[in-house]
Amino acid sequence: MRITIFGNHRRLVLLAALGTLLSLTASPARAGISDAVKAQTLPNGLRVLVLENHKAPLATFNVFYRVGSRNEQFGKTGISHLCEHLMFKGTKKVGPEEFSQIIQQNGGEDNAFTESDFTDYFETMNKDHIDVPITLEADRMANFEPKDFDKEKHVVLEERRMRTEDNPEDALDEMVRAAAYVAHPYHWPVIGWFHDVDGLTLDDAMAYHKIYYSPQNALIVAVGDFDGDQVLKLISEAFAGIKNGPKPPPLTDLEPPQDGTRRVELKHAANLPAFEEAYHVPNIVSPDAYALEIASEILSDGQSSRLYKKLVVEKQMVVDIGAGYDMTSFDPGLFVVSAQMRPGIKAADTQVEVEKELAAMRDAPVGAEELQKAKNLEQAQFVFGQDSVMREAEMLGVYEMLGDYRNVDKYLDGIDKVTAADVQRVAKTYLVATNMTEGVLVPTGVLPHGGGGLSGGELR
Amino acid sequence: MSGATMRMKMLASVAAIAALVLAATPSHALDIKKMTLSNGATVLVSEQHQLPMVTVMIEFDAGTRRDPKGKEGLAELTARCLSQGTKELTAPEFDQKTDFMGSSVGVSAGRDYSTAGMTSLKKYQGETMQLLAGILTEPGLRDADIERKRAEQVAEIKAAEEQPGYTAGVEFDKDLFGDAPYGHPGAGSSDSVAKLTNDDVRGYYHDYYKLGSAIIAVAGDVTADEVKASLEKALAGLAGSVAPQDAPSPINVPAGLHVKLIDRNVMQANIIMGSGGVERSNPDFYRLKVMNYILGGGGFSSRLVKVVRSQHGLAYSINSGFEPGKFQGAFTIGLQTKNASSNEAIDLVLQQLREIQEKPVSDAELDGAKKFLIGSFPLGIERQSAIASFMIQVEFYGLGLDYADQYPKLIGSVTKDDVLAVAKKYLHPDSMIVVAVANQAEAKIKTSQTEKAADAPGAQ
Repeated sequence: MRITIFGNHRRLVLLAALGTLLSLTASPARAGISDAVKAQTLPNGLRVLVLENHKAPLATFNVFYRVGSRNEQFGKTGISHLCEHLMFKGTKKVGPEEFSQIIQQNGGEDNAFTESDFTDYFETMNKDHIDVPITLEADRMANFEPKDFDKEKHVVLEERRMRTEDNPEDALDEMVRAAAYVAHPYHWPVIGWFHDVDGLTLDDAMAYHKIYYSPQNALIVAVGDFDGDQVLKLISEAFAGIKNGPKPPPLTDLEPPQDGTRRVELKHAANLPAFEEAYHVPNIVSPDAYALEIASEILSDGQSSRLYKKLVVEKQMVVDIGAGYDMTSFDPGLFVVSAQMRPGIKAADTQVEVEKELAAMRDAPVGAEELQKAKNLEQAQFVFGQDSVMREAEMLGVYEMLGDYRNVDKYLDGIDKVTAADVQRVAKTYLVATNMTEGVLVPTGVLPHGGGGLSGGELR
Repeated sequence: MSGATMRMKMLASVAAIAALVLAATPSHALDIKKMTLSNGATVLVSEQHQLPMVTVMIEFDAGTRRDPKGKEGLAELTARCLSQGTKELTAPEFDQKTDFMGSSVGVSAGRDYSTAGMTSLKKYQGETMQLLAGILTEPGLRDADIERKRAEQVAEIKAAEEQPGYTAGVEFDKDLFGDAPYGHPGAGSSDSVAKLTNDDVRGYYHDYYKLGSAIIAVAGDVTADEVKASLEKALAGLAGSVAPQDAPSPINVPAGLHVKLIDRNVMQANIIMGSGGVERSNPDFYRLKVMNYILGGGGFSSRLVKVVRSQHGLAYSINSGFEPGKFQGAFTIGLQTKNASSNEAIDLVLQQLREIQEKPVSDAELDGAKKFLIGSFPLGIERQSAIASFMIQVEFYGLGLDYADQYPKLIGSVTKDDVLAVAKKYLHPDSMIVVAVANQAEAKIKTSQTEKAADAPGAQ
């Protein structure tokens, strides 16, 4: 596509972003990644992880804040993501967008993304300039003072128009999640409802920053071609003096159990039907997580996977189909199967075929070779994922926020222990109709009412 | 590592930093070894021993620019069909073998050339190479597989046409390049692809997948000698070379803004404005790179983002760029804004184009552009896949094996006068093509005349 979304302030979809990462684990021949990590907690509670990686003359610096749409309230959705945008709009010392400009002048790239569970700010650059983001990140943690609030809100609303309003699949995903979660904050989208974002004020953002952008709520991860002790010292010098705000309130929202299929329908400007089926599943704290990961591999990773083979190759019903599961969500998440139909194919007919595949997984154990193939894919993708300092930093950060970065090295063992009986058991437990929320996109065509066609002329 | 004083000054102002920061030297140890196979293929190897994995890419002069008139999409379809097994292995057998090793093997068609490639763990390097060689020397190209891939490509085109940005890009290229090699979408149109025959695909493979004129790039945990020997053996069946393609005539957009309005039920207008650019071999390439960074290629350091996004809040995404290729490419500005802001955004862009043609850029802008372009160079060659595609570009466009060392000098020598001169020569605010996919009733884009034309693409 010609118009690329340039880097800044993008919001990553969790499944896509972390799917590959999480497939990483120490390959058996290699010592664990976490062995080489230097970890420290500063007196103000700020947690710091530093890892030397001398593969390329680069370094990446990440500041994670344990705040995302999960921490928001009804009526104020989108505040986490708006706050992320405002972090680039200046401090008591630095002008609007100057943060990015300084990083760029040092040959670096910077960006940030907001998830349901956390927000990650990162800079990747020449190893010799790692001190620059350290100073700048400390400044915006301590001296947040954003300018141009209203303009930036308009930018975020444009982002929402682009990502959701004019994107049928994202619009459908939003409706499915809102139906799947009735009480838990995973109910609303990370970017927030349009009218909520429109109503947010600068005071909202300042108050939010005060609670959630404290050292005690943050985690720093630096990976790169540097001297780890020296970088730890620089980080400590820059961040140790920053004071904490009030403690974030505890999260108490629980999702009541689902008993029965939930169905939503979305009419949207599009030509092709689509559907998304979502099943409530546990996260990494459950031993079932690894079996669910293997189930998603068997269903849709690679052209020999079950759903691809059946629906793309044999039946030729869909443009694309995928199954996704993210075991690192902070609270129990969703196992999602989604597809876009080919012209002339009904979503309901394809859903029948998907259900046959899920039934096959519930009714019989997967074969030994198929199970081994899924494990091999996980192992290979783990090694491939280490080919980027940024990915390595993200992986360490996510595991640390979930409890302990050292669990990164337990991942492959967990995958390796999964049996065919485990896969069948989780399919029987979770991938069942009573636990499903299904969303169907009913296309209304892409032409406006009464309009249409192509026109042209000379501009002014 | 710079000291604490310098870091404080960095926070003080952008100008101060520009003066202080030293230009980074991007001499990344790619250590490229160049060899030739007995059939004439060029082999470039960069040994990367940090991870037990290997990436191979093979360039063929079989890009979409070679599509015969009326057979648009043939290069793409051929690339897709080549991954469907060998004479010995059916497509499902091939997929099963590939996935079981966790490897990836495939062929993709770009505009200038197509690339066959593989990524595998080191332990599966030999077997994966056999699979890659198999689809290139003895591809299956069975009737049923070609027919299936053709239907799949038609469906994907229809799905892509739902995206306003895709449609805008297709229409822009059609208007700018006309019948020239870059004038059609790489995937073709649903009509042109539907008419492609099985023999068209086999013929295209036969005519353009010649190993004698191919470039092979290998980045990974291998030694150059061993990889040369295994390539020699695996690819023995392919020889011959492809005759060069004649360059099309230069692009000349007549005076005026030529507007094409495509009506869609969307909240945001997708706008592409542009004119003819340059070929990769144009000596102005480096001057244009600096000028474009300042104009709209440099994210938050660029004028278009500062004005349209930061100051006016009109867009989340706006950028400009040249797309130089083997032949003259386009210069484009792409943006998305709510329908009602279309005229305002277009006016702001035109103002910026005129301004950079009338007044020299500031010292700080020039300096910042050079520091980013030079300093960020290593970021683009971190991963094995990036190293391999970098080596192919270096060889394909004749940039020289010492390109990474030359690049800082080429960028570093650009002056303010150069920037002004190339802005005057290559930007044409009074002679441009403007394509807007929008809800035209809301956008009300100003034109001196409007004429209804044929069906809007993708509108069913």
